[in-house]
Amino acid sequence: MKKIIIGVVAAVLWLVGVVAFSVAASRAGASGAQFVVLTVKEDSVKDYNTMPVFKELAEDTGIEVQWIYKNSTQYSNTTDPVGTKGIDAIYHTGFSNLKLYDYGRRGRIVAIDEYLDVMPNFSEILEKRPDIREALESPDHHIYSLPRVEEMGLKAYPNILYINKAWIEKLIEENDMPAGVELTADMLKDGLDLSRSQFKAILEKFRDHDFAGDGKTVPLTFVSGNWQGNESDFIASFGVPENRDHKIIKDDTIISTIEDEKWFDAVCEMREWYKEKLIRTSSFTQSDIEFLARGQDGRYGAFYWWEKDTVLAKDLRDDYIIVLPLKDDDGNRYVGMSNELEIEKGECVVLSTCADKESLLSYFDKFFEPDYSAQLNYGSIKSGAFLPNKVGGKLIPQNDHGDQSADDFRMKNAPYGVVYLTEEVWNSSVEMESRAKLRLENLENYVKPYTIEGIKPIPNLNYTEQELKELNTYEAMLANNISGWFTKSITLEDPTRESWQGMLNTNKSALDAVLKINNDAYKRYLTATEKKV
Amino acid sequence: MANDSMPAAAESGAVDEELIEQAYEALDGSPVHDTRNQTKWEKWKDNFKKKGWILVFILPALIYVIIFCYVPMYGILVAFQDYVIGDQIIGSSTVWVGWDNFREFFSHPNFWDYFKNTFLLCILGFIVGFPLPIIVALLLNSLRAKKVKKGLQILYYAPHFISLVVLVGMLKLIFGTEGLLDQLSIKMGGDENGLKLFLSPEAFRPLFIFSGNWQDFGWSAIIYIAALSGVDPALHEAAKVDGASRFRRIFSVDLPAILPTIVMMMILSVGNLMSCGYEKVLLMQTTTNKVTSEVLSTYVYTVGLTDGRYGIATAAGLFNSVINVVLLVIANFTSKKISGSSMF
Repeated sequence: MKKIIIGVVAAVLWLVGVVAFSVAASRAGASGAQFVVLTVKEDSVKDYNTMPVFKELAEDTGIEVQWIYKNSTQYSNTTDPVGTKGIDAIYHTGFSNLKLYDYGRRGRIVAIDEYLDVMPNFSEILEKRPDIREALESPDHHIYSLPRVEEMGLKAYPNILYINKAWIEKLIEENDMPAGVELTADMLKDGLDLSRSQFKAILEKFRDHDFAGDGKTVPLTFVSGNWQGNESDFIASFGVPENRDHKIIKDDTIISTIEDEKWFDAVCEMREWYKEKLIRTSSFTQSDIEFLARGQDGRYGAFYWWEKDTVLAKDLRDDYIIVLPLKDDDGNRYVGMSNELEIEKGECVVLSTCADKESLLSYFDKFFEPDYSAQLNYGSIKSGAFLPNKVGGKLIPQNDHGDQSADDFRMKNAPYGVVYLTEEVWNSSVEMESRAKLRLENLENYVKPYTIEGIKPIPNLNYTEQELKELNTYEAMLANNISGWFTKSITLEDPTRESWQGMLNTNKSALDAVLKINNDAYKRYLTATEKKV
Repeated sequence: MANDSMPAAAESGAVDEELIEQAYEALDGSPVHDTRNQTKWEKWKDNFKKKGWILVFILPALIYVIIFCYVPMYGILVAFQDYVIGDQIIGSSTVWVGWDNFREFFSHPNFWDYFKNTFLLCILGFIVGFPLPIIVALLLNSLRAKKVKKGLQILYYAPHFISLVVLVGMLKLIFGTEGLLDQLSIKMGGDENGLKLFLSPEAFRPLFIFSGNWQDFGWSAIIYIAALSGVDPALHEAAKVDGASRFRRIFSVDLPAILPTIVMMMILSVGNLMSCGYEKVLLMQTTTNKVTSEVLSTYVYTVGLTDGRYGIATAAGLFNSVINVVLLVIANFTSKKISGSSMF
């Protein structure tokens, strides 16, 4: 019996020892850290705790933050990230408007607007930019999250059409250019001028010649419904301001594009192209990763994406050129605009359980300073993202990263998240990346001039609680029903006017409700930002 | 004591079974109680003292059922709340909203579509999937070669161990875009864009149901094979003597013998008739087949886990469960009336 008691006592003591040691060790890990912030980070990204930009921030503010991580899969499987024990804030929250409001009104996350006196940079932004304040406010007019503002003017035009110049050259060499298309080798440069029917005739030749071999040739491809490189601008070429949300501001009213006859015409045309094998089923089923992987071996005749470098292997990049928006039968070119936002909310929230909210928020406030914003967005100066010395008061991006591509370097070294990079910052404090400048230049030269008149992207609107709930129900349903009909009408059966009207009638009440909610919110937005309808 | 009770029995002239039992017990020298004048409660207590330890065996199962089946039931209260993760289910932070979540769920524009899709997917799955293992079990049982029987049995239930993700991956490789069937169809001169079975709303139900049955018919047959092994061989011998063919014996001996098992399994299946799970449906879902593939369970998943609207998701889940309970009770009652066998 004695032996048993001694054994039990020894086991208990051992267990207590192990627990005590673990607790001590975990505390030692956070030694000196005043705050613990949970962030979503993939394993390929460097440890935030060792990033020079955060060390610099710690020295600057005297505030130590320990970053702890979950990868995106772990994070998305966390039912209640706000309930994570021992954390003071969450970075890269990904919270929707409704979720932010739900957590905010329950008092589980901090109403940041109540701490503006310790956040001079953020206060100044809110004063200068009522549209940002409007975008961030929840239905109870509190601000529950810090934003990401990256205004480059790129996101509104996420689709540029590229064509395989090398294959056209082969057609010219073989003297097999389609009838009605008169192209010479010296015309094959960015800004190729083609009508929709000429473009189609060239794709037919690509298909027939099977330039990629073994039947691998894909005449035209895109990623249906993706935020970039989608089919919207093919549809827009018919004169309807299409984007993946199927809604846009036209003449200061939010309208739906799917009710437009031209939208139906575009679907019918796409069905014909599909039947003729110019567009493949994969365009409607592939993910962006699959699309990018397939592009590496040069099987694409033409594709939509916002740049060509990520789609093509290095040796193939010179083979592709930009096509101007396809000319419609009326001789005009049309381009739509996306509603992708350059002001994103939900980047960072501070939990109500944080013991010293003022200090932590003053730390995050530093993120809005241009030098920190630039380093958070592209990588630290010390890691080689920028030249060590400023030129003309501006941070200059370092373009050469050795064997690494600019994308790879950035993915590993930049934490992203809360930044404030606006036109003012680009002009005064940070030089834009050369890739971004090239994209902008391409857009200015080949895309923007053809924007359909009177359209504007829908800004970040502020909804009431009831509106948020209704939108939550209707928008998901509409997205399902519209994309279901759209893909079915191209890949499975001929679209008929009856089936289109049937789809519109079925979704009419939801569509009307969504448009009304959006227009009401937009009117409030205009009033709040002191514009007139 | 035994001696006292014997004359009483003899006097009455009746055979007192209890007394005989006591007499037998007395033979091994243990004390014998006179239980004739005991109340029911005393008898129960007596019995519990003697055999109560057997209950220990069901204790783990009982604890399991209480912890994992009954305790979580309090979560259905969320269906009547504006619940945000972190709220107390009953406490100061609870926001009660009455039937609002149910109203919102029933007034969802696609409610009837989801309901219809769930019902059709489950009822068709039941019609195809319920008799299949019974037929397989009967056929396997009537095989003479034992080795072939065993081999086939293993072959049939092996697919049960394939994970859902792998199964759907296999389906995509065979029936998906640019899959085996598409390639064959193109080679044989079919549409060069392939059959597009994963895009087709009409193909979703057959693909879902037949793949599910392919995976599980062998496994489900085990219980019937076990029931068939209990059939008295004398019955078969007698039937043979009467000149019954093998086919006749299946209908007249095997089938009646496993009928109570079939009835039990049917009642249990009906009780799950509106539950087709969400995992496989989500894995097989595409933009275009949502017309037929969006079911109540995927709606619960999307609204609850993706949108974080737990109140509505719980209301939808509760509605589904209530239908299942009603179906279970109806099936049990009908079976009791018709065949005399039932679960409760």
